[in-house]
Amino acid sequence: MPLKKLVDLSIPSSQDYLPQVDSFVEKLLKATKFPKDDLDDVAISVSEAVNNAILHGNQSDESKKVFIKVYLSKKYIRISVRDEGGGFKPERVPDPTEDENLLKASGRGLLIMQHLMDRLAFKPTSKGTEIILDKFCPEGC
Amino acid sequence: MRLKTRERDGILILEVKGKVMGGPEATVFQDTIKEALGKKYKKFIFDLGGVDWMNSSGLGILIGGLTTIKNANSELRLANVTEKIKSLFMITKLVTIFDSYETIEDALQNY
Repeated sequence: MPLKKLVDLSIPSSQDYLPQVDSFVEKLLKATKFPKDDLDDVAISVSEAVNNAILHGNQSDESKKVFIKVYLSKKYIRISVRDEGGGFKPERVPDPTEDENLLKASGRGLLIMQHLMDRLAFKPTSKGTEIILDKFCPEGC
Repeated sequence: MRLKTRERDGILILEVKGKVMGGPEATVFQDTIKEALGKKYKKFIFDLGGVDWMNSSGLGILIGGLTTIKNANSELRLANVTEKIKSLFMITKLVTIFDSYETIEDALQNY
């Protein structure tokens, strides 16, 4: 199924840019047929992926960038977020639902993305780690 | 995120609105709680009815608030927790650590 690229943007590794990314993605999503609830799921997941890329991938090094691409097909939306870090192993993330981790302030992003998105994939590249998030449009995009 | 505080019956109600996505917001939230603790408030309610959505950093902000309040031997209740936040609480099992009430009135009555 052909994917049409809607957006290709990059931001410095600073959380100050999160609201800008969110408002950009929100405008795009509102132009699709996503129900409001699904739209929020995608927006939350994009914020998680970008946050992870900034904090864990690029270690908040503002000389490194986070690359965000948004694609749309007739059936789903795909968001790709890539950092310039040294790699990420999802299986090494501690389970945030274990009792000893419940009061930790961070470590839930991956779990939330797994629940809110329909497909989630990690792709190690020579330029950093890319996370690919897919969400199906219930009534077509 | 937008924050607004008000007092009722000696209890500090912190209204949280908008999208809660972390970053600099965490500091603003913590500063607001510490300021209230400095004014000797012992009971808090976070009113989440106006939250559009919240990500894991937002959940971290709530946990940070709870920890700060508990460490000061004070108490926290949540009120007007939206369906979206409830589902995040279920996914992350945070439903087990927060004391949540349907409305501000319910939270006040249970203090």
